[in-house]
Amino acid sequence: MHKEAAIREPLILGDDVTYSKITEDVLHAIEHEPTKLWKVLMTIATITAIWGVGCILYLLGTGIGTWGLNNTMGWAWDITNFVWWVGIGHAGTLISAVLLLFRQKWRMAINRPAEAMTIFAVFMAGTFPMIHMGRVWMAYWVFPLPNQFGSLWVNFNSPLLWDVFAISTYISVSLVFWYIGLIPDFATVRDRASRPVQKLMYSLMSFGWTGNAKAWQRFEEVSLVLAGLATPLVFSVHSIVSMDFATSVVPGWHSTIFPPYFVAGAVFSGFAMVQTLMLIARKAMKLEYIITVKHIEYMNIVIIVTGGIVGVAYCTEFFIGWYTGVQYESYVYMSAGAATGPYAWAFWSLIFCNFINPAFLWFKKIRTSLTATFIIALIINIGMWFERFDIIVTCLSRDYLPSTWRMFFPTWVDLGVFIGTLGIFSIFYLMFLKYFPVLALNEVKTILKSSGERYKNMSDEEFKQLHPVFKKDIKSAPAGSKSESDNNEEK
Amino acid sequence: MANSKKYWKGLEQLEETAEFQEMSTKEFSEQLPVEEFLGDEDSLGDVGTTRRDFLKYLGFGVAAASLAACETPVTKAIPYLNKPEEITPGVANYYASTFYDGHDYAAILVKTREGRPIFISGNTESSLTKGAINARINSSVLSLYDGNRLKAPMISGEEATWASIDNRLGKELKAAKNIRVLTSSLISPSAKKIINDFANANLATEGEESATASNVVSYDAVSYSGIIEANKESFNKSVVPAYNFDKAKTIVSVGADFMGNWLDTQMYITDYAEARKPENDWMSKHFQFEASMSLTGSNADVRTPVKPSEYGAILTGILKAVGGNVNAVKTKYDHQIADAAKALKASKGASIVVSGSNDKNVQVIVNAINNQLGNYGTTIDLENHSNTKQGSDAAVMSLIKDMNAGKVDALLINGVDPVFTMGDAFKKALAKVKTTVCFATKMNETTEACKYVAATNHQLESWSDAEPVKGHYSLGQPTISPLFDTRQAEDCFLKWSGNDKSFSDVIKDTWETNVYPTSGALMFTNFWNKALHDGVFDAPSGASSEAMSFTGNVSEAAAAIAKVKGGALEIELNQNMSVGAGSGADNPWLQEMPDPMTKITWENYVTMNPAEMKEKGYNTQFGQREAMNVVNVTVGKNTVEFLPVVPQPGQARGTVGLALGYGKRVGKQEEISGRNAYPLVQATKNGVSYYGDVTLTDVDASDYYVACTQVHQTIMGRDSIIRETTLDVYKEGNKDEFNPSHTLIDHKDGESVNVLTKEFNIWGKDQPVENIGHRWGMSIDLNSCTGCSACVTSCNSENNIAVIGKDEVRRARSMHWMRIDRYYASEYQDAGDIAGTLAKTKEAEDVGTTFGYQHMEDPADNPLVVHQPMMCQHCNHAGCETVCPVAATTHSNEGLNMMAYNRCIGTRYCANNCAYKVRRFNWYNYIAYKKFTDFNPSQDDLGRMVLNPDVVVRSRGVMEKCSMCVQRIQEGKLDAKKAGAKVVDGAIQTACSTACPTNAITFGDLNDTSSKVRAGMESDRSYRVIEEKGQEPNIYYQTKVRNLASSKVAKSHGHS
Repeated sequence: MHKEAAIREPLILGDDVTYSKITEDVLHAIEHEPTKLWKVLMTIATITAIWGVGCILYLLGTGIGTWGLNNTMGWAWDITNFVWWVGIGHAGTLISAVLLLFRQKWRMAINRPAEAMTIFAVFMAGTFPMIHMGRVWMAYWVFPLPNQFGSLWVNFNSPLLWDVFAISTYISVSLVFWYIGLIPDFATVRDRASRPVQKLMYSLMSFGWTGNAKAWQRFEEVSLVLAGLATPLVFSVHSIVSMDFATSVVPGWHSTIFPPYFVAGAVFSGFAMVQTLMLIARKAMKLEYIITVKHIEYMNIVIIVTGGIVGVAYCTEFFIGWYTGVQYESYVYMSAGAATGPYAWAFWSLIFCNFINPAFLWFKKIRTSLTATFIIALIINIGMWFERFDIIVTCLSRDYLPSTWRMFFPTWVDLGVFIGTLGIFSIFYLMFLKYFPVLALNEVKTILKSSGERYKNMSDEEFKQLHPVFKKDIKSAPAGSKSESDNNEEK
Repeated sequence: MANSKKYWKGLEQLEETAEFQEMSTKEFSEQLPVEEFLGDEDSLGDVGTTRRDFLKYLGFGVAAASLAACETPVTKAIPYLNKPEEITPGVANYYASTFYDGHDYAAILVKTREGRPIFISGNTESSLTKGAINARINSSVLSLYDGNRLKAPMISGEEATWASIDNRLGKELKAAKNIRVLTSSLISPSAKKIINDFANANLATEGEESATASNVVSYDAVSYSGIIEANKESFNKSVVPAYNFDKAKTIVSVGADFMGNWLDTQMYITDYAEARKPENDWMSKHFQFEASMSLTGSNADVRTPVKPSEYGAILTGILKAVGGNVNAVKTKYDHQIADAAKALKASKGASIVVSGSNDKNVQVIVNAINNQLGNYGTTIDLENHSNTKQGSDAAVMSLIKDMNAGKVDALLINGVDPVFTMGDAFKKALAKVKTTVCFATKMNETTEACKYVAATNHQLESWSDAEPVKGHYSLGQPTISPLFDTRQAEDCFLKWSGNDKSFSDVIKDTWETNVYPTSGALMFTNFWNKALHDGVFDAPSGASSEAMSFTGNVSEAAAAIAKVKGGALEIELNQNMSVGAGSGADNPWLQEMPDPMTKITWENYVTMNPAEMKEKGYNTQFGQREAMNVVNVTVGKNTVEFLPVVPQPGQARGTVGLALGYGKRVGKQEEISGRNAYPLVQATKNGVSYYGDVTLTDVDASDYYVACTQVHQTIMGRDSIIRETTLDVYKEGNKDEFNPSHTLIDHKDGESVNVLTKEFNIWGKDQPVENIGHRWGMSIDLNSCTGCSACVTSCNSENNIAVIGKDEVRRARSMHWMRIDRYYASEYQDAGDIAGTLAKTKEAEDVGTTFGYQHMEDPADNPLVVHQPMMCQHCNHAGCETVCPVAATTHSNEGLNMMAYNRCIGTRYCANNCAYKVRRFNWYNYIAYKKFTDFNPSQDDLGRMVLNPDVVVRSRGVMEKCSMCVQRIQEGKLDAKKAGAKVVDGAIQTACSTACPTNAITFGDLNDTSSKVRAGMESDRSYRVIEEKGQEPNIYYQTKVRNLASSKVAKSHGHS
């Protein structure tokens, strides 16, 4: 085992961090009664979720007319929410897959909650294309299933169909990837569980993980393969979502810049959401020494980069709107469509949230401040919602024939469904925090002795003392440490 | 005897053999091969059915049986026991008939299916209306199936039987000395005869009145008495003349909406459009002076907004300018008057001057001008005059006077609703009449105040005949048996005058004695059958009058006009295309039809110039969340409360407009709103006046919304959507000037060049449907389209389009497959766009900047107007088709963009990707959801009878749109196939093209090189909307040509 250079900032802070402590802290929530805070949050989430489900049932029972859509606006909040949720679902896979391929060890502290967020967000995203259909009971027709209608088949020209494939692939691969990572950690919980039901559940979930060397070797290999598979998906999903717009004829949608712009925007919003959720979770679960300011800063840097790409994309759109001289396009960008029209408030919200707001992160002081990060990330989340709202609603509201120009006004059902998905998402996430190992604890342990502060600060002597493996002549291990042998014995 | 016969199964039984004895005790005569079946265990094992399979079958059987036991909805279809001879299920019958409701006249063709009338189109055999109808006429089929109709006669508000009415009323009538009949203008010679016979029977005997006096008083809800009186004074003829707009090279209208609601619009509109084809040798030039922006004004070449109080002054000015001897009143419009007069003088004997004023003095001046120009006998015919408006204000006044004086014992009211239109004045007088009878199809304000309510047939259940213009006859026949216990008014009159004949026999008699002799036909039966088949008959016309002597007192009239002083704010009470004088007020199709100008539905409102509204601080923006200001409108002593104020570009400053006919309280659906403006009509000594000084009082109403289908008013300089030019540019013949090809900018050798859009085709060179088989398409002439919206309701009726009500229309969810986009020019466009030289104007340099676009947002103060019918463009490279995930919308090999409702899952992606926004989504289950119960006719059994059985009623959650009446195409193709011939051009007509009174919409096969639609497509004026997107629509539009000189455009229409 090698130690990382001392000048690199440690990834695990604290002088008292041991394998045992990591296990204890990460599994604390699972092994103890839920806290008051958790109960309160869960109650709120459940109430909003019930409200949302009620709204969805009302929508399905009565018709899409309960939303604020109209003849000109075939889509508005439904697809805005869809794209927003899909975008949020981008950070997890990027962190776990791309950073794994690049061997970024800091990912280990955050990949599990980020991936969980991804999966739940994509679930929420998937809800919208379903319920936005006029006849949701026929939704299975979007799959190329054999049917009794003769040669009737899906339309492979349609970007909506590409969406179906892209998102279902993405969710399957993400889910598998996430679950495989969870197996050793479930095994840890299983091994420590005392209550029979708990033990049974975690035994089932851990698939009989033994933790032997061969298992670990295969684990690593599968992770690598899945990371390789998931990486292109990170780029494909949002590219394809963007094609819902890019392949259309609507001025402002029809744009070749959309795929990269959407992917960058998705990562941007995904990381912002990770920040938002994780800043709360690490505090509540007292995991500040694993998810450190360093991690927060790294993620802020990703936000700066992707935010920059998004900013450039905005400028490009405006430039092209002017440069092409196509009056419909130029109207959307140069005129009432955006900056001065009825949706100017949405446009300027977007510019503030996504263009000006992340620029503060260029200051090291701000991007290492937890409060500032939290606020900025929250604003980015809002801004990214506005971005999708702007693209969909502003462009649709004023397209070719001025006679059809209309405005969109949301109804309480629009609002209810959106809030509801936030509630359902929160339930999932809170359940995850309570019943799942929130961090990849076994992975984190692998870097404890190379990147942990305690070990970095040790002299070689102390290090050897701690580890009889390195110095056979030490008779007895220091008191308080159980780490004479392999990890698994601790559990 | 009964038991004596005995039958045997065979000899064995007869002989009672032992063998038989034994067999008869067994259930089966032969041994069943049970052993063979089950005995051999080996073979039993070989049987395919194992125990497991057996259980499967059992399970399946139980499941299937229980499923089959579930009740499926049973729809009862009752077949004919005896099939009527003329009805073949699935095949439509057409009957020629006549429509006249006191306001509109048209010869019509009624389509019936399985005995139900479901569609009304114009009768092209008629030389008067030439197939023209309007929205009210084609929507009248819906009122046949109105659930609020009277289902039986009533006495004092209680339902009664006809026998009891005949009995009681008969006694009262016998006792009555003075019987009067108040009726709508009678154009039916037969009805006129029997009603006169009925009412005037006592006149001769009593001898108290002169021979010409009559107890029958004609009353038009909107009066034209001024014209009749002026003609009496000028030419000693108390009639409304017939006008020939096809011969008029110059048309000057001062406040007359002759394409919308003024007199016999159905007789004018086809002729008018015919004279405005730029391809002809000449194109008429139309000047309009008016206060409100009327449909007619929107089609005028030169429109001048003036106040109603100035109408007379303008006409005296014109009279003077064309050489009349008159003291003209000074106006601000010298320039415009001179222009109009110049054009009039240039086309002497081929011009028409009309005025919408009901003031006799104004009409005398109009007559003087027409006389000066020699228009009588050429464009204006007093000899073969119109009969459709005969009401006399004076006669009605004297009737009310008599009623108040208690001189009237019995009053029978037929075809009018005077309590609604005359208000309390009439109601009070009516209370003094002992016996009051009202003929009506529905409860209304008058029936409420009458003792006897005679429930009459709907027109489609009645016989009628008509002589709308002298010498032109038409017949109306019932197309369905009366649905309820009703009786047609004429039959009542016959019965009550003791005549046993039916009205149809009377008509036959009248025709035999009066009409048949002029026909020269050999036998009456032949003549009658042909007349009934054609619906119309033209008697050889009497020669139009030779040089009539004009006896009008011009100087007196001019003096009276000079005294007219308008106030600061004047009102013009007009009628709109939806409800007219009130006849369409309870018809949901008409209420939902957007007004051609404001595009507002379901109510009436005060129109005002937007600039003035801004001065007053009123909201001038439309929108689903833009609350409108609300006012009380006071004219004289009468106030109409709670009317929204809406901006109307082109409304003369200092004037407001308000539509009559709305606001019925009785016999209407809950949703139908609007306010009754008739109380604002003023009775003056010169007759009834629809103009007056008005006061508006603000009402505090913070959230009053109007339901408008088009909230943006201008075209934003998008000249690939609307193309227009002026006659002089068009006549030069340079297509690049007036209708340049669509191009896009490309780069070549470092330069930017314009390249034809076809070059950018990503779909491969050819359209798959070009020149192979049929390729259905349309050609729509923007020059002919007046915006009347008859096509909109016609499409409703043909394609079972849902009525969604005011709230949903406000939410921009109108279900109309066919709409008419109306664009006002902005100041910005006036200068440039019209001549096709947009890029050259100074302001046009701002294109592409925020400033430039903002400039175009607001309509001009007196804008040029374009009406553009818009429906599915059936693009050959359709955006909607590629994006549907389930291929629910696809292209036919005949160029149709098709919609498979059953396959649609409702993602609405197609609607988003439709550049024309013509797709309509079923947001709710309109045929069952409670929100629509009050007004969607399809929600009750009676209302459903109007549905076209050839078109499916769409369910919730699916997309729909114009199908180009594919059911009619299919029918036409099958007919041709049966006949073994090719489809003849014109044999297939869409609902909109049949309804169009000006033939602006031509439907046909674009691959048929000799077809009309192909000619339209190949015309110089032809273009396709946003063609540069490369979607290859199958709908071609023809550039609008205004009879203006390009350089003068800005001047004649700008506000100065």
